[in-house]
Amino acid sequence: MGRDTRATLFTLLLLGICILLQSTLLSRLPLGGARPDLALIVLVYVSVRRGSMVGQVSGFVSGLFEDFMSVAPLGFHPLMKTIIGYLYGIFSGNMFLDPVFMPMILTIVATLLKGLLSGIVSSIFGIEASGFLYFRGRLWIELAFNTVLSPFLFALLGLFKVLKPSDKEGA
Amino acid sequence: MAGLFEGFVKRYRKGVTLAVLVLVSLICLLVSNRNVVIKPKEIGHSFVAFFQGGLTGASQWVGGTFNSIRELREAKSELADARRRLAEADEVTREVVALRQQNQALREQLGLSQAVAMKRIAAEVIAKDHDNLSSTITVNKGMHQGVKTGMAVIAFQDGLEGLVGKVVNVGIASAQILPLYDPGCYVSSRLDRSRHEGLVNGQGKDQPLLVMRYVKKLAKDNMAYGDLVVTAGLGGTYPKGINVGRVREWDAQSYETSLEILVEPIIDFDRLEYLFILESGG
Repeated sequence: MGRDTRATLFTLLLLGICILLQSTLLSRLPLGGARPDLALIVLVYVSVRRGSMVGQVSGFVSGLFEDFMSVAPLGFHPLMKTIIGYLYGIFSGNMFLDPVFMPMILTIVATLLKGLLSGIVSSIFGIEASGFLYFRGRLWIELAFNTVLSPFLFALLGLFKVLKPSDKEGA
Repeated sequence: MAGLFEGFVKRYRKGVTLAVLVLVSLICLLVSNRNVVIKPKEIGHSFVAFFQGGLTGASQWVGGTFNSIRELREAKSELADARRRLAEADEVTREVVALRQQNQALREQLGLSQAVAMKRIAAEVIAKDHDNLSSTITVNKGMHQGVKTGMAVIAFQDGLEGLVGKVVNVGIASAQILPLYDPGCYVSSRLDRSRHEGLVNGQGKDQPLLVMRYVKKLAKDNMAYGDLVVTAGLGGTYPKGINVGRVREWDAQSYETSLEILVEPIIDFDRLEYLFILESGG
């Protein structure tokens, strides 16, 4: 099994766990009406470390999983997550990941990008999304949660060898 | 030719994969949602309508200014007329109150009840929206327990029965419910006191209140803060008489023929743990 394939499968497992946690345990916590998107933070990390191929495929499959768990039309989450995975993968190998600031910056941009893409897709396809569209509402609460959690999650994900870039690809 | 194509795919592997995945996502979206709104004619129409609206607004302002003097004279005579009719209405209201009390007493004696006994499937909430974009409540009962798509869902909180939403997806042992606050949830309802009908619709998780539209303007004369809104039973999905919420605010623009009422749901969805799926509907 190739390294990329192993990384993709492992990422899908992690994303599945995050999505399940978000829909069960995190939904019971009083978090101001919003919850952190752990799956997005994991996708950002994996894309930056492993590249566009792993990022976009993981994003697509995890997006399908999210669609199965919600009433969003099939294709809504895969479209957004594929694009985010691909875009972040472009920077793989060209970015120094410090422990604190870079995870926060990457996560902030990813959350804003998610808000923008969700608004565009909802507008084009006439989807009545109950959550934030573009940059209003709970996006900012989610942004705060994601930003605070990202350094910790990045540090945790850094412990997994399978997600590290190979020596050929550089740090 | 095949060699060239293969070479192209190998060289631009990432881009080709992206294009394929995005295309599959778009096809899935088109197939599962037919509300695509990007139509050139509509875009052009919207652009032109902006200028039409501006011009009409300006001309209305000019006309309105000249009309205001005449309207002031008419308003004075209408006020005198309204005062006279108010006195007559007060007398009628007193008679109505007495009749209502009599009606209630007679119904209690006859043992009539508006609540229809329906078979209910008790369920526990096992998951909610996994992200902040969609509204879903997942419960631990599904096809095996007799749950079907379209069934209405209720819950009890603080001694009151309230509408939660309806079943939209059913699995073998789980089901997904579209909650009342979702913008895609529409419930045919009526004001319990005046019996005026309207359509209740969620405004998203961001907004704690529901909105009830298409209520006749007459209703505002017989409406008060806290009035109960119940399901009307039209359309077949939601049985009649289930509590939806309470009236909090209403708005009546002079150019509109109906009211817009803000309704606070009976059910606090943050505290929802157990609910009942009604076997009627679906």
